[in-house]
Amino acid sequence: MDRILAQFFNAEVAAQYLPSMASGFAVTLGLAALIVVTGLSGGLALAVARTFQLRAVTFAIVAYADILRCLPPLTLMFMFYFAFPLAGISMSGMTAAWLALSLVLAAFSEEIFWTAFLSINKGQWEAARSTGLSFGQTISHVILPQAMRVAIPSLTNRTIAITKGVALASAVAVPEMLGEAIAATSYSSNSTPLLMAAAGYMIIFLPLAIFSRRLETRFRWN
Amino acid sequence: MLRAHAIWKSFDGIDVLKGVDLHVQERECVCILGPSGSGKSTMLRCLNRLEEPDSGEIYLDGQKVSGPSVDLNGLRQQLGMVFQSFNLYPHLNALGNVTLALRKVKKLARPEADEIAIKALDTVGLRHKADAMPATLSGGQQQRVAIARAIALNPKVMLFDEPTSALDPELVGSVISTMRDLRTEGMTMVVVTHELRFAREAADKVVFMADGVEVAKGPPPEIFDAPPHPRLAEFLQQVS
Ligand SMILES: Nc1ncnc2c1ncn2[C@@H]1O[C@H](COP(=O)(O)OP(=O)(O)O)[C@@H](O)[C@H]1O
Ligand SMILES: [Mg+2]
Repeated sequence: MDRILAQFFNAEVAAQYLPSMASGFAVTLGLAALIVVTGLSGGLALAVARTFQLRAVTFAIVAYADILRCLPPLTLMFMFYFAFPLAGISMSGMTAAWLALSLVLAAFSEEIFWTAFLSINKGQWEAARSTGLSFGQTISHVILPQAMRVAIPSLTNRTIAITKGVALASAVAVPEMLGEAIAATSYSSNSTPLLMAAAGYMIIFLPLAIFSRRLETRFRWN
Repeated sequence: MLRAHAIWKSFDGIDVLKGVDLHVQERECVCILGPSGSGKSTMLRCLNRLEEPDSGEIYLDGQKVSGPSVDLNGLRQQLGMVFQSFNLYPHLNALGNVTLALRKVKKLARPEADEIAIKALDTVGLRHKADAMPATLSGGQQQRVAIARAIALNPKVMLFDEPTSALDPELVGSVISTMRDLRTEGMTMVVVTHELRFAREAADKVVFMADGVEVAKGPPPEIFDAPPHPRLAEFLQQVS
């Protein structure tokens, strides 16, 4: 029992690595928040663009979504971080990680939003347009509120799964929380930092999960 | 008031409307009858340009409203439309359904929009249901809220596309009587319907369509008592 405590809940180790874990937490939280915002808005914008049903636009969006959904996010990070500089485009590991995960989240959420749009009866569009609402007003006041209700559960799952990919960013030299924890664990030969990281993930993602359940109930209008 | 001339429309190479004319005078009620698939809905939807006619002209109050450079959102406010399937917004209550366009299109402030919406709901006898969500309303009530949503915008003409066809028989009456009230108040209406009694009693003019053309047209007695065309006679027999 004592050995377990010393190995996993070691106060000394915890205190020693608290600063690096705290800064890792901040990096992970910040990056995750950015990715959620840009990824979801990107996905929504793409799904809206797809409603115009212009052949070339639709083709480009579908191709984008299909390719990005198949690529492991790490390959994208590597490409942005290691290959792009060869073409004269350099970016920090932070930017590469943000861009890669945002693009992937945009691809997945575009598909989720689009499926949700399709599930809305055509009559809703017609009713809205027949009262003089513009295309944009119809999307934002009639289609989107209904689509959100359909989309929220899968959107939450995807968002959490993809933003957890911030952990991959240590491969492109981003001092994110899990990377810091693994380093600390091997320096100290003690697992306490890993548990600290687990707690950190809970603090970041549990509110997201709870928030989405709240939204779900708010959108349950009948 | 509303005049459509030689409207043509095809879907996937199939002609659905083959040069249909429609004249509606102010305060007139025109009923359109016809078998399913004859192009009645398409005709109505061409009038407010939910469908774009391939050719033909439409005039509202002498103004040309077909062709390019027409403010479609402006036009649609002047042509209220009621659908067979109600199409209420399920996420908004009855009041919200009626006020949405008032607020977003007419840009009215909330109190003003609410006031107009309550009046419109009162007209259809559902003032007391202002807070109700559509899913808690009967089909007949939903359709009356949909009518309120359209008339709240103070349109010049109301277009009804089989407003009672999706209703249980016992709920048809309330919607029909709401439409009668509108008629009495002098609303100009175009009504696609299978309710022959309503057409006979309320219409100034009945149009019979089949296969994308207007087959017969006239005041109700002419149409119902002495059908001028065999297709019409056959149709009347089948429906009644
Ligand atoms: N958006 C559309 N795309 C393809 N075909 C359509 C469309 N709308 C209507 N049609 C076709 O046009 C014909 C007339 O339809 P409609 O105007 O709805 O007739 P009605 O209202 O008299 O029953 C039908 O054969 C229908 O299948
Ligand atoms: Mg029809």
